Amino acid sequence: MATSTSSAASPSQASQGVRPVVVIGGNRIPFARSNGAYADASNQDMLTAALDGLVARFGLQGQRIGAVAAGAVLKHSRDFNLVRESVLGTALDPTTPAYDVQMACATGMEAIGSLANKIKLGQLDSAIGGGVDTTSDAPIAVSEGLRRVLLELARARTPKQRLAALSKFRPKDLAPHAPGTGEPRTGLSMGEHQALTTAAWGVSREAQDELALKSHHNLAAAYERNFFDDLITEYRGVGRDNNLRPSTTLEKLGSLKPAFGRDLGDKATMTAGNSTPLTDGASSVLLGSEEFARANDLPMLANFVDFEAASVDFVRGKEGLLMAPAYAVPRLLARQGLTLQDFDFYEIHEAFAGTVLSTLAAWEDEDFCRNKLGLDAPLGSIDRSKLNVAGSSLAAGHPFAATGGRIVATLAKLLHEKGSGRGLISVCAAGGQGVVAVLEAR
Amino acid sequence: MSGTAERRCIDLPEVPALGGIYAAAVKKTAASRIGGVLPGGGRRRGADDDGRWQLPAVEHRVRRLRVDTGRLTRYQRLMGDTVREDLPSVFVHGLAFPVAMSVMVDDGFPLPLLGMVHLSNRVEHLRRIRPGEELSVRAWAEDLRPHFAGAQVDVVAEVGAGGEAVWRGVSTYLAKGVDLPGRTRPERPEKPVFTAPTRTGQWRLAADTGRAYAGVLGDWNPIHLTSLSARALGMKRHIAHGMYLAGRALAGAAPREGGYEWGIEFASPVFLPGTVDFSVADAEGGADPYGTVAFTGWRRGASREHFSGYVAPR
Repeated sequence: MATSTSSAASPSQASQGVRPVVVIGGNRIPFARSNGAYADASNQDMLTAALDGLVARFGLQGQRIGAVAAGAVLKHSRDFNLVRESVLGTALDPTTPAYDVQMACATGMEAIGSLANKIKLGQLDSAIGGGVDTTSDAPIAVSEGLRRVLLELARARTPKQRLAALSKFRPKDLAPHAPGTGEPRTGLSMGEHQALTTAAWGVSREAQDELALKSHHNLAAAYERNFFDDLITEYRGVGRDNNLRPSTTLEKLGSLKPAFGRDLGDKATMTAGNSTPLTDGASSVLLGSEEFARANDLPMLANFVDFEAASVDFVRGKEGLLMAPAYAVPRLLARQGLTLQDFDFYEIHEAFAGTVLSTLAAWEDEDFCRNKLGLDAPLGSIDRSKLNVAGSSLAAGHPFAATGGRIVATLAKLLHEKGSGRGLISVCAAGGQGVVAVLEAR
Repeated sequence: MSGTAERRCIDLPEVPALGGIYAAAVKKTAASRIGGVLPGGGRRRGADDDGRWQLPAVEHRVRRLRVDTGRLTRYQRLMGDTVREDLPSVFVHGLAFPVAMSVMVDDGFPLPLLGMVHLSNRVEHLRRIRPGEELSVRAWAEDLRPHFAGAQVDVVAEVGAGGEAVWRGVSTYLAKGVDLPGRTRPERPEKPVFTAPTRTGQWRLAADTGRAYAGVLGDWNPIHLTSLSARALGMKRHIAHGMYLAGRALAGAAPREGGYEWGIEFASPVFLPGTVDFSVADAEGGADPYGTVAFTGWRRGASREHFSGYVAPR
């Protein structure tokens, strides 16, 4: 890849007195449906694979990178140092510091955004951000009852105390506890939460199926034109995201039965086709200062301009669980002096088709923008032909913490191909959170 | 709430065990049946000369009550609440409940304890209560009055610390089919059609929910324990404790600081195992994150209301 010529920092960056940070490139392993191709691979295995590919692609062998930050949403307790352990398994210089980040599905975005800030401030010259998740090799915990018995047993010093601890054991405690996608404070799954939001915004089944169809077609087309050749490294015999269904049709999607919100009766619109499947995978993104990129003869695909997090109170029903990006985007736009229409690409993570469509509907809604966002006028609509043009999570899958890295690398490359313009990223997360970001072409 | 001047105080050496209280209640119920005195008719102890039933002018007290932090922790875990240095309101209710029960099994108490229906609670949680505080409890019954389905009574429990009241709860119970002599039952009010609000949560309650609650707070009422023990008392199946439902609701809805008031009304029992759809939302016009909130529970996917209530900061 050719090294880009440098461009001036954006006005906002100059005014903040910080230097630009560039996205140099990315690497991920193909995302695989749960309990399939990667069933035996651990988070550490997959993250190491993604990093290995990145190291190979950019010739980072033996280099000390400023920091590597990544994370996993579903994490085994033995993986207390997941990222550092992964780095030690790569060809990177073992003196490369690494740390874990965890912000549910926004883990990757938070890791990358925070690293970008450190580069902007001059604390780091280079960094790798990313994420990994497996729902196949998920940590299974013993039940709460058994856990407490075992802990009490470990604390017991006398036979009598040990007996007392054991006497609290109940056969039902043998049932293992697998992590779910349920919100701890509400007991509702993410899909059930989104079903409420989807219904509240009146998003139709057809609109969701169309978005899902587009995601598959766009991802397939991107593969066809070899877009992912320098973004993906094969892993365990998988060369492409294996959730991709290039030949799916509206008829096929329309034949699926509702999977979420079934309590809504005929208002139920969310199916396995317009919701992301559980997926395994890992992603990584290489960031650097312009000086670092030039010194190492590395490409500069895009500036990572800025990012913003938001959270909503879904526990008391004040907002839908996955609507936080709808609040983060206007704050980021205001800080950057941009409008919603000032973008050439929109990467809105497709947790569910309903999430994307509810968010877009909210930005078009006068009442929402006035009363919830405190704006004078709606943010307005976007040119839908600029949305998720290389596919998104509905087609590619969504290994929770790996999604941010997939999107940043994809968008940076899209911007670099175009050679100008900006892209907006929006990623929702469990706990009513979300992270959004702006990238600028180089 | 009335003072203590006109009530005789009965000091209990310690908080009575509820197992014994239920045994006494069973005996009392059986005795009244054997004696041919059925609820709803006839003369019984507690009736005064003109035949009107009266509540005994007594107040049961426990002067020193300490909180077992292990029990507090188990309560907080059971409710999905955070383990923190602060007594949840329903936990305080659980501490005071045996004293209130002691009032209701007192010889002079005119209504049969077993089979009474728990209608509602109103609680003033006057200030934060720390686990290390030495508490006192007093409880009495008041305001025996007709209900469209029988007779209802308020059982008041007051928890004090250092001479000041810190928690005051009124539990209202219904004795079905009981007619108070000389008092006519009011008309059954028009029941508004229940429309479920947008749910904000869902509780999947296991068959052992009642046993788990009893294991922590000691309320071993047979109607909550097993299908068999509940059927023995004429129930279709065993049901969740009303205060378990209140505790779950408050774990999410109680303000994080300062005192508060809350109330709950029970519309229909939650059979176990069962799934409750739940909603908690700002009461009308509220915008403060910890302002007055309203909560509702109903049977999953159905229009059958289980309970509704509110929490208001003081």
